[in-house]
Amino acid sequence: MLKANPLERRLQIAGVILILGLVVEGLTLLSHGAVGFLVFTGLAGSLILLGVLLYLLALVRSESLEKKP
Amino acid sequence: MQTEGLIFLLIALTIALIALLVARPGLTATSGGKIMAFLVLFGLPLLCLGLGFSAQMQNSKSTRFCLSCHIMEPYGQSLHIDDPGHLAAAHFQNHRVPPDEACYTCHTSYAMFGGLKAKLGGLRHIYVYYLGNPPKPADIKLYEPYHNRECLHCHAGARSFEEGATHNADPALLADIKSNKTSCLGCHQPVHDVATLGEQKFWKGAK
Repeated sequence: MLKANPLERRLQIAGVILILGLVVEGLTLLSHGAVGFLVFTGLAGSLILLGVLLYLLALVRSESLEKKP
Repeated sequence: MQTEGLIFLLIALTIALIALLVARPGLTATSGGKIMAFLVLFGLPLLCLGLGFSAQMQNSKSTRFCLSCHIMEPYGQSLHIDDPGHLAAAHFQNHRVPPDEACYTCHTSYAMFGGLKAKLGGLRHIYVYYLGNPPKPADIKLYEPYHNRECLHCHAGARSFEEGATHNADPALLADIKSNKTSCLGCHQPVHDVATLGEQKFWKGAK
């Protein structure tokens, strides 16, 4: 499923992590207790921020690779 | 609930768009695809996270949230004591505080950054409950003495408070209450009498 192109592969990994984070966020919104809050801040938040960070890193790395002679 | 529905819808839409990019990453080769990737992998997830955080913050004010820790269950039961002399129960049962935000309404601070302080206190509770050494329910104490400001947020200016016979029996009393020199809780007791729950009768709730 993952492509050989490094940029596309990184985007796919970021996407999968973001999907996981968003699914966890959706599940925690169904919970109304303190555990849901903890899972939201600890897991969903971390996964989403990690996914976004990986996407930005993929962009930066692809830019630097393009500039190399 | 309507807001949560919209957040769910946004999350579902974002997941669907991300899944499309994951399945067909070649879409990002064009400039339009790059803009779409930025929105889908950066903008929308952060929007979902922000809205989810806001919903969680709102939810953390609810009585149900506070009582979701077992240690707080006796405090929840004390709201149903069938005795108007019990301060918290009388406020809860007579809707002097919103029943679905009963804990937060009385236990937040109505000073600057009071809401933030209350939420940081809540995080501390969660930490102690899951990772610390939580006390027995009857041994739980407030971090600092209850401030009259929280009572006066609603009662100041109310006729029953300002013109009440007991409050005016001593000419200095009203001023002392307003300046927090005399605590409201000095007279208005008990508040949460969790130690005697076994001896109490309970109100079954409105039909």
